[in-house]
Amino acid sequence: MSRVSVVIPVKDGERYLAELLDALARERADEVLVIDSGSRDRSLELVRAADGVELLEIPPHEFGHGRTRNLGAERTSGELICFLTQDATPAPGWLDAVRDAFALDERVGAVFGPHLPREQTSPMIARELEQFFAGFAGPDGGPALHGPGDEPFLSNVNAAYRRDAWEQLRFRDVPYAEDQAFGRDLLAAGWLKAYHPGAAVLHAHDYGPVEFMRRYFDEYRGLRATTGHVEAFRPLGALRTVRAETAADLRWLKQQGVPVGKRARWAARAGVHHGGRRVFSALGSRADRLPAGVRERLSLERRDDGAAPVVDPAGPAGDPPVAPPRGRAIPVRRAASDYAEAARVLRDGPAPLLDPLPGMAERERLRLALVVPPWRRGSGGHNTLFQLLSRLERRGHVCSVWLSDLHGETGNRWPAVLREEINAWFAPFEGPVYKGFDDWHGADVAMATGWQTVHPALLLGNCRARAYIVNDHEPEFFPTSTEYRLAEDSYRHGMHCIAASPWLRDLVAERYGASADAFQLGVDHAIYEPRADVTRRRDTVVYYARHSTDRRAVPIGLMALDELYRRRPDTRIVLFGTDRPPRTAFPYEHCDVLSAPQLAAVYNEATVGLCLSLTNFSLMPKEMLACGLPCVELAGVSAESIFGADGPLALAPLDPLELARTIERLLDDPAEWERRSQAGIDFVASHTWDVATDEVEAGLRHALREREALLV
Amino acid sequence: MSVTETDSEQAEIEQLRARVAALETELVEQAARTERIVAQAQERTYWLDRWHLDLNALMRKPGASQFRALLRGVRFFVRGAKKVKRTLLRGS
Repeated sequence: MSRVSVVIPVKDGERYLAELLDALARERADEVLVIDSGSRDRSLELVRAADGVELLEIPPHEFGHGRTRNLGAERTSGELICFLTQDATPAPGWLDAVRDAFALDERVGAVFGPHLPREQTSPMIARELEQFFAGFAGPDGGPALHGPGDEPFLSNVNAAYRRDAWEQLRFRDVPYAEDQAFGRDLLAAGWLKAYHPGAAVLHAHDYGPVEFMRRYFDEYRGLRATTGHVEAFRPLGALRTVRAETAADLRWLKQQGVPVGKRARWAARAGVHHGGRRVFSALGSRADRLPAGVRERLSLERRDDGAAPVVDPAGPAGDPPVAPPRGRAIPVRRAASDYAEAARVLRDGPAPLLDPLPGMAERERLRLALVVPPWRRGSGGHNTLFQLLSRLERRGHVCSVWLSDLHGETGNRWPAVLREEINAWFAPFEGPVYKGFDDWHGADVAMATGWQTVHPALLLGNCRARAYIVNDHEPEFFPTSTEYRLAEDSYRHGMHCIAASPWLRDLVAERYGASADAFQLGVDHAIYEPRADVTRRRDTVVYYARHSTDRRAVPIGLMALDELYRRRPDTRIVLFGTDRPPRTAFPYEHCDVLSAPQLAAVYNEATVGLCLSLTNFSLMPKEMLACGLPCVELAGVSAESIFGADGPLALAPLDPLELARTIERLLDDPAEWERRSQAGIDFVASHTWDVATDEVEAGLRHALREREALLV
Repeated sequence: MSVTETDSEQAEIEQLRARVAALETELVEQAARTERIVAQAQERTYWLDRWHLDLNALMRKPGASQFRALLRGVRFFVRGAKKVKRTLLRGS
């Protein structure tokens, strides 16, 4: 069994010293050395009275956290050297646990254990200690080894060192945090350190609020000196942290069974504590910028060590060579994965559908469940979905909305609030809204509505059929990535697709082999219509410049407008659809994000609309046309599938010069403008949400018929 | 004879199909009622959801019942005082 020496630096430590020395006698330490640096209380008397304890007295000015511990290690002879502070009392079994930890691996150079709160310890510190040390334990809460790449934390309140490791590295002679520096050096030299929950000490700094703050000032000054760490300070972030920490304290107190009244009293104290900590740790990190007198007054130890030394990023001279890093063992800790549903579908396949019933596709009323991703105000895709759902509901179908929130974007919005948002932002809806699928109770058709809803919808059982309302070819939203692959995968699970254009229908059918129908996006003709009260200008181009949406090809659109401005400097250019005005080489008016009535007014005033889409055609050009505004779109993508090659839309290739030329022609040629304007109004007159709903309903019944066909 | 059996089987199948259709209609009606009730409840609890108030959880907290009893006591006295005031005013 390894011989153990215990070294305890002491100054005025009488409060816990007798208890500490008794505990060491109980633990049967082989050698105990107390180094006193000028105690004026009964500490010396207590040490001298204890059996088997050696005393070494040094002048106060010779004390240094690293220096004095090196001295203690030199004056003792154990193969293992334990350092305790004068207020750390070993718990029963402490020494056995230290020995066990060193026995885990011969490369273990240092061992540390938890600090348990004493009875009078404030809850902020008690909770912090408990949670902080729990993070070092192994997955089962037991001992754990830490290697290169792990947190280098060590605390000489309660730490033990293998003499070989100490002799190789020794403590740095720094004013503070010599243990942290040693931990860093230890791992860099290829040693391991071990945490053992049984190697515990009772320890607490039960200071008052101001003393705590001053102590944090000292601690972070030391950290800056030893590791170069500078504590960030952002007022709003600090406020959030204080709030979160205080709430965590109160939760912890509740778990401990502390009564409400007492918890309320601690709430104020916790707020002061955490607020002070944020401020004083940031000040401590920047102590070198403070005047010497201020530094001294803020320090609990009344120290003024001058400016904090800057750590050499290359490390101190003579650093040992860096060992190959060892991976850190990470326990299972995810409560939910972003794509857990996709993984389940890929592993187990979709949930089985209910057996088909004859005539189910022709039933008057269907139970329809719409599975949607989280929305924001103004979301175009959601607007389409809820316009359709609202009308399906009015036709007597039993409709419900199921929010699939993979990333927790709607974390603090409860179902009734989500339901109200649908009604306020999109379309009237009388059915219920469910968040997640805990209450899933089946449907005739479960409708996925975006790539991220497909896998969750595939896991829903108790359905007669599944359908997929496809608003766009979503793999094109992503670079090569997981999202790209999962979006592609979403078309390959046999869900009947109901696509938002013939182009999109053909694409999913041909590329992915999906069965598919199409529907045409509707226009709200009560809002988007030619208005006699708005005077049409002859010099205005409006452009949907939403540069945050890559598929809108905004840089090319701006290049086209730049060319147009070069040719016609008197053209009035209006950009909208984004909060942030893009930088351009031409002057323009910026209109941010507009409401539907505002958009209709802008479309009625403008001469030419420009709206580009590199994927599926969007609603906006139709709304422009409905207001009598000729619109320029990209040729060769999806517009031809709706409007034909020479329909009401003026199509141009993805070329700034060609786009500018097409816009210019509409500005310069009144006959052409008139023809396009009238053709646009005529064309979209039949594109209503009711027609779109007819098409979607037919698609849903088609999905059911496909299931019925299996009966034959 | 076989024709008769086939006809009777066919009739039974039709009967069963009609029964399934009736049950399906019943299911849709039931689902419609249930969804309507949930939606109405969501309509009513909008502000509670908006403010993240779970009254059941709140009333399970220690002291909640006592607080409610206190409020009822206060209400009793306020109503009593109002009644007395009304009586006195009527008397004058």
